[in-house]
Amino acid sequence: MLTDGNPYAIRKTTVLRVITETPTIKTLRLKPSLPFSFKTGQFIELSVPGVGEAPFTPSSDPAFSDELEVTIMRVGRVTEQIHKVKKNDTVGIRGPFGAGYPVDVFKGQEVVVVGGGCGFAPVRSLMYTFFGMSRDLKKLAFRGGCKTPRDFLFKKELLGWKKRPGLDVRLTVDKAAKTDGWHENVGLVTTILDRLPVNPKNAFAVVCGPPIMMKFATQTLLKEGFREDHVYLSMEKNMSCGIGKCGHCRLGTYYACKDGPVFRFDQLNGLERIWE
Amino acid sequence: MFFIAEEKLHILLTRLTDDYQVCVPRKKNGKLHQTRFPDGGGDYTLDEVRSCEPAKIFFFRAREKVADGFGAGPPPPPPKPACITGVKACDLKSLEVQDYVFLTDEYTDPFYKRARDSNLIISADCTQALDTCFCMALGVNPFPEKDFDINLSKMEDGYVVETGSAKGERVVKDNEHLFSPADPSQVKTREETRKRVQSQVRININEYRIPQEGDWKGWKPIKFAYAFWNQDAKNCVECGACNTVCPTCHCFLLFDQGAGKKTSRMRVWDSCLIKDFARVAGGANPRPELWMRLRNRFEKKFDFFPKVLGINACTGCGRCIAACPAKIDIRSVLGRLAANAH
Ligand code: SF4
Ligand code: SF4
Ligand code: FES
Repeated sequence: MLTDGNPYAIRKTTVLRVITETPTIKTLRLKPSLPFSFKTGQFIELSVPGVGEAPFTPSSDPAFSDELEVTIMRVGRVTEQIHKVKKNDTVGIRGPFGAGYPVDVFKGQEVVVVGGGCGFAPVRSLMYTFFGMSRDLKKLAFRGGCKTPRDFLFKKELLGWKKRPGLDVRLTVDKAAKTDGWHENVGLVTTILDRLPVNPKNAFAVVCGPPIMMKFATQTLLKEGFREDHVYLSMEKNMSCGIGKCGHCRLGTYYACKDGPVFRFDQLNGLERIWE
Repeated sequence: MFFIAEEKLHILLTRLTDDYQVCVPRKKNGKLHQTRFPDGGGDYTLDEVRSCEPAKIFFFRAREKVADGFGAGPPPPPPKPACITGVKACDLKSLEVQDYVFLTDEYTDPFYKRARDSNLIISADCTQALDTCFCMALGVNPFPEKDFDINLSKMEDGYVVETGSAKGERVVKDNEHLFSPADPSQVKTREETRKRVQSQVRININEYRIPQEGDWKGWKPIKFAYAFWNQDAKNCVECGACNTVCPTCHCFLLFDQGAGKKTSRMRVWDSCLIKDFARVAGGANPRPELWMRLRNRFEKKFDFFPKVLGINACTGCGRCIAACPAKIDIRSVLGRLAANAH
């Protein structure tokens, strides 16, 4: 969706709501000035006047068009300024860009979704898409991990998923204090990747989270017997243009912005330092 | 083929200023630089060698406003198209790479496309070779064979003229009285000059033992690590000059300029040798060491582009050799690469 046929032009967008999720994470509910829709896993470039742009994958359900939510962790200069945005402010968006999750590939299959940290944002959008097509999936399991219960993004909602019929959910934190009231698993995300209710020989896995978590989750899944071309990863790269021209996000012969940001592990295998 | 006398070409260029911003190479301190015409008069040099500035500056500016930000008004009206003259074969080849980047895929770049559609390219044969020229190692002859509107081959008192596009033919037709048919002896002179310059480039290739492009085909970047790259990378000062002068380097950065609600979105050339080029907001950097970034530059040109486009993204123009303060020499890097490729 281009503004005036110009892929660099922003579309003015109103901030409808700001939700504080954790001490370092906020969600913005946005309404673009022109009709807008996206596919789950695609990303947008969000800009704030006088600050600049940064890429985010919406965390909302793509079935609801014309509005979207982005969930943003404060990690640097741009995100710090984005965290200062208030209700009714005007921001800019470009996009959506990228290929997103190959939802059709998952039809009729067993799927395990593994999320961690801020990776719950894209993953929540994917899960909403799956909820909307649950009869098309043979099996759906969700595994989620965070450092502590305090920074567990979407904690209430994810705990609520445990009650969803047909959905197999396990959650974990690296560390929990007694006062946190945490009744789920304690340990790294890899500790909840055993006993998966799927046949790893032909099941699919989608992994999204901090690089170190993706690395270990991928290694564990492959050890459990998942095929390399059945493991999908979200690659965080430095992006500027979003359209495969500026050269920043190159990964081997791919550009994360246009060929990704979701890649199959076999597409990346053989490249160096993919987790950085 | 036609012939145009020196003074008639001057008339032609002057007439072209009605529709184009005409640019001509002129000598400053012994080197050719792109300058505006007619300011500065007739002391331009269309033949000889490539200019210091790569041809990309006429299609993809070093710094330009690409969009309205938050209310600073739309981008300025398109500039007068450029008529670029004296462009050499190496730079014409570089446009294949730039075209692939900016014109293919789901999104085309509207600024590049406009310049590509409206600019007029009057190229010229090289009549000399710099000692850094090695185009023929990359499969480029030192005379234009395609991708020009009009090509000029220097004679003693004028130029042999060849048209390469409908646009070029129209320019000749509209100015018919300035041209005469080329005579066979002039065409023969053109062939002789071309052969002479080819042999000069061949001398460079032999002297610096530069491999041919097939010699490093299929090299695996992953097999070339610290020991291979650091001997050069340790001297790199991350100035980005190699990227700036390179006709095929296309990387850029978008940023918003201005304060408060009045901002415009700018695009500037970027450099992959600079530390933060690939660093993500969270701090992770896939190429923290200089040797990794130097390898990345070669990987992009000699592995990525061969795989996605089928050509090396280097034209052998030698600009990066002349520009590098650390004296990193692509000729010797390619030599070592070819020697270790298989
Ligand atoms: S890499 Fe160097 S020699 Fe090759 S096209 Fe670029 S500037 Fe010219
Ligand atoms: S021109 Fe030389 S010193 Fe400058 S960035 Fe390139 S390789 Fe490094
Ligand atoms: S963000 Fe510019 S090429 Fe991917």
